[in-house]
Formats: sequence, structure tokens, C-alpha cells
Amino acid sequence: MTAIVEALNLKKTYMLGKVPVEALRGVNLKVESGDFLAVLGPSGSGKSTLLNLIGALDKPTEGKLLIEGVDVSTLNDNQLAGLRRRVGFVFQFFNLIPRFTARENVELSMSIADIDRAERRKQAEDLLETVGLKERMNHKPAELSGGEQQRVAIARALANTPRFLLMDEPTGNIDSKTANEIMGLIKRLNEEKGVTIIMVTHDQRLATQAKRAVQMFDGVITREIVN
Amino acid sequence: MKSRDVFSYSFSAIRLRKLRAGLTTLGVVIGIAAIVALLSITQGLQDTITRQLQTGFATDTLIVSTGGGFGAGIGGRTGADSGFRLLINYTQMINGLSPNITTSIAIIQRVGFIKSGNITRVATIVGVDFAEYSDIYSSTFVNETGNIPLIPTNETVVVGKLVSNPWKNGTLFCNVNDDVEIKWINATVIPAKNETYTGHVAAVLKEIGGFGVGPSDSSVYIPISKAESFFGTDECNMIIVKLKNDDKATINSASKAIKDAFSNEVSVTSATAVLNILSSVFSVIELFLAGIAAISLLVAGIGIMNIMIVSLMERTREIGILKALGMKSRTVLMVFLGESTIIGLMGAAIGIGSGWVLANVVAIVFHGGGVFFGNQAMGTGGISITPVLTPTVLLGALVFGVGVSVVFALYPAWRASKLKPVEALRYE
Repeated sequence: MTAIVEALNLKKTYMLGKVPVEALRGVNLKVESGDFLAVLGPSGSGKSTLLNLIGALDKPTEGKLLIEGVDVSTLNDNQLAGLRRRVGFVFQFFNLIPRFTARENVELSMSIADIDRAERRKQAEDLLETVGLKERMNHKPAELSGGEQQRVAIARALANTPRFLLMDEPTGNIDSKTANEIMGLIKRLNEEKGVTIIMVTHDQRLATQAKRAVQMFDGVITREIVN
Repeated sequence: MKSRDVFSYSFSAIRLRKLRAGLTTLGVVIGIAAIVALLSITQGLQDTITRQLQTGFATDTLIVSTGGGFGAGIGGRTGADSGFRLLINYTQMINGLSPNITTSIAIIQRVGFIKSGNITRVATIVGVDFAEYSDIYSSTFVNETGNIPLIPTNETVVVGKLVSNPWKNGTLFCNVNDDVEIKWINATVIPAKNETYTGHVAAVLKEIGGFGVGPSDSSVYIPISKAESFFGTDECNMIIVKLKNDDKATINSASKAIKDAFSNEVSVTSATAVLNILSSVFSVIELFLAGIAAISLLVAGIGIMNIMIVSLMERTREIGILKALGMKSRTVLMVFLGESTIIGLMGAAIGIGSGWVLANVVAIVFHGGGVFFGNQAMGTGGISITPVLTPTVLLGALVFGVGVSVVFALYPAWRASKLKPVEALRYE
């Protein structure tokens, strides 16, 4: 299998005022096409930092991060933006644009990728149908439940046919029943459509639904579990 | 992201905060409206005055006067320290100076009084050769009623429209065939002496509306020979020289010939030169007024910057989302500049319309109130100003409105574009 993501001794240090904080202290990780990886760990373990680096939202301080063989640290701003268009991001707090409807939110990522209006409208409707939200596509986020908003966020992440999905606590802000439904959807996307998924969670139970999981603690991977 | 999508996104952000965007736009509207109103009124005023001057002057004439030029020519002798006197009979000599000179006439004028019935009014008494004056000012020295005799008697009087009909309410001060008393206070003798004679109104001129050295609505015209004896002088205030044409070369050569002949003791002014001076004066006035109005637009610009910075802070997370979705920094910059462009465009468009309406309202109010040259005591009659909105002002206002909006949005837009996605997403 081809490695889509490869982290080699990845380090990230933040400055908290004048105090350096080592969020990642040498992470080695390989994610292959079609994989479903859960990154487990308590708050402050560095899992979200790892996800931000893989999603090209941030640059590593040291080490190498290869996305489809390309070293992220060598990319300029525009190239990083281009890379982000090939990655689907799902956030814990959905991060939808409140003034747009569900369909417009999904369309937005396609309009950023220069897709024609008619084409993106059709694709947005198809994606919202995939996540079971076609009937609610003309509603704004404030008119949707947490679960529905997360479905919209997943549909938006799937637009532009991403190389992989990055999910940061995708069920962290919704009730358990809806969380199960969302997890079902995520698993289906991986199993039926072959979408590569990297999911960050602190919930051991959710991690068992992934194909494999890595445990993080204090900025390093301490354990790998194959389910 | 396509330009249309960028603008659509910018517009959606503006629509979300209608009141705030409206108030921001209002700043631009006021600035642009002030510029458009001031410039179109000034332009209208310039056009009106130029037109009036062209009516008052004939462009193919020169004005020969003593001392300080045109002003001195109108007001009488000033600065003639050398004792030079411009005599009425110099016209014959001037006529022979250049083949470009067709004819010349002397003008004597004094401020005096005209009495009809029991009412006495101030008027400018002008002594001219009726035949030659009619020839030079063929479009303005024209009778409305009565006849202008080419060979007048000593008692012949021709009055301007405003002298005949000063109140414009149907009651005439004097009319054709009326006998009027012409009065002048001769202050050249001690004690000053009242000179009077009774004249006979032969004609009332058509309304001219202009001002300058040509015929005027507020003047009383008497034959030059009568003026000489009545004012007791052989000296004239000015000599109007008619040229073959109004070419620059003709004007220059005739001017030089006259100045040389009088050893530079006279001033020779051409109507074209006066119009040029007027045009430059108005350019300076326009620039000054536009500068004042532009200050209000700059204030609006600072308002735009302020609003954009507030908007940037409120939308930091949104910018993070856009960047996480792959939007380039340049596109984020364009989104913010797009918002300011829309505000600038709307503000400029509404401002141009409002400014135009304002200019017309001001023109109506001013004309009705007789503020600009409408003062009857000045005897010039009311001049209506038609505001002029030139394509240059229109385009300039649009470009300036949008330009100011964009320039003041540059800094907040640049800051937005430089936000790091991971930090922007964390922003609460």
C-alpha cells in the first residue's frame, strides 16, 4: 500500500509567551491509502497538533512530514493552501459558516477549488444525500442539530475528493446516539468508498471502531493498537 | 476562487451586517456627495459666468484702458501716474494702427442717477456711438421695444432691461417715449455740482443677463457727444477695438501695435485672456473645494478601516475555516478588498446621485434667494446656475470613492490574509 502520510521524528514547539512548549517531541507515523487510524490520547498529549500538521494548517519545527511523498516544510503558502484543498477537515465544533445554508457550506470548499457553480451545486446535493441530509440542505447551521451540522461538515470535507479525511473529535460535541450514527457514517465512508481517515479522539470506545489506533502521551506515540 | 465567487462571498458578508455596512457606506456617500455637489455647482457657476462674459465681451475685441488693465478700464483711471489721458479722439489713430483692426469706439461711463416720475434710481450712464456700438455688440445691444437710432439726438436715451423693469412685477420704471431725468454729481469741481438734463427714452434693450464691458441690463446709454458735454470731459474710460477675427495671432499683433503706439501707457486686454484667467481661477477654486470635500471622504476611509478591523477580529475564526478549506492568502485579501470595493461602489453611486440632487437644490435656493449676482442693488439681475456634472467629475468621484475605500481597507485585508490558519481557528 502507498503511504499517504509519513511523519519522521516530527517535532513541534510552541512559544507560550517566552516559555517554549513541546507539543510534539518526535512522532513517527505512517498512514496508507484506505487506512482508518484513530489517534488516542488525553488532553494536551499533542494529538490535535499532529492533526494540524498533517492538515497543513501548521508547519513542524523539526523532523519531516511527507504528504504523498512531498515534504510539507518545503512548501510555500500557496502550495500549502493547494495541499489543504486535497485534505478534508472535520472539526469538533463543526466550523460551518453561519450565514450559509448546508448546501452553500458544502459548495464553499468547491468554490475555493474553482469548480463551476452548476457542477458544485450538483456535487453538494449528492454529498449531502450521502450523509443523509438532502432534505435539510437549505437550512442554515443554526437551524440544524449538532449531529446534522457535523454531517454537513463531513459532506464539506468530502467535497473536492480529498486524499484523506482528518477528523478532530468528530463526535466530541454531540450526544451519544448521534455520535454512533456519525461513526457509522465515517466507517461506511472508509469501508465502502475507501476514504482514508485519520481521527483524533480521547474516547477509547470510538478508537476501537477504527482499523488501528495509536496512543499519544506528552507529544510522543506510546503505543499502537491494531483492531 | 473565481472573481465572481469572491465578490459573491464579500457581498454575503456585507449583507450579514446591513446596519454596519449601511453606516460605513453613509460615510462614503457624504464625502462623494460633497465633492460632486461642490464641483458641479462650481462647474455650473464657471460655465454661467463664462457664458455671461462671452455675452458681455465680444471675443474679437480688445479693451484699451489706462493703468491697471481691465479692472481699471471698468472702474475708471487708476495708476496713471504719468498723467497719460485716454482721449476719445484716439480712436481714429487706433483704427490706422493695424490692418487687423476694423474699428474702435470710445466709452465714457459714470455712476449716476435716472429719475422717472418721482422715483430716482442709481444707474451707470454710458456714453457710446450708437451705430458702432450696435455693430460691435450686434447680439446684445438690441432693442426690445422702441428703436435704437443710429444718428441720435442729444436727448436720445437707450435703457437696459433692468433699468426699465427693475421690480419685475409688471410695473415699469420707465418705458419707450418716456422723458427721464439723467443726473450726475460732478465731484471734479468744488463744491460738487449736480448736472442734470432731460432725456427721451428711444429704446429698451432686450434682456442680456451678462456682465463685462459690453452692454448691460443696468446701464443707461446716451450718445457719446452728449456724454462729452454732460460729463465735461474729452477723456474716455476705455476704447473698445474691434478686430477682424479672434485668432490668437490677430489679438497679439493688434495688442502689440496699440501698446507700442501708446508707449505702454495703456493696458490692452482681450476677452480671451480674461476668460483664460477666469478659467484658471475657477480651476484653483475647484481644487480647493474638492480638497475640502475630500477630507470628509478621508474621514469615511478611516471609518472603513475601523469597521474592517472590527470585522477582521469578529471573523478571525471564519478566516481560519476558509484557509483550512484551502483558500489562498491572496484570495482572503481579495475577499476583504471586495467588501470595501462594494461599499465604495455603493457609496460612490449613491453619493453621486445625492450630490447631483444637492447641487440642484442649492442652485435653486441660491437663484431664488438671489445670492449669486442676484442682488438687485448691484443691478446685475439674477443669474441662474445650472450645475454641471461632467464625465470627468462623475468618473473621478466613482474612482475616488472606490479608491479611498480600497486603500483604507488594505491594512485590515492584509492582516486578514496573513492570519495563520491554526491560530485563526483557535480564536474565540
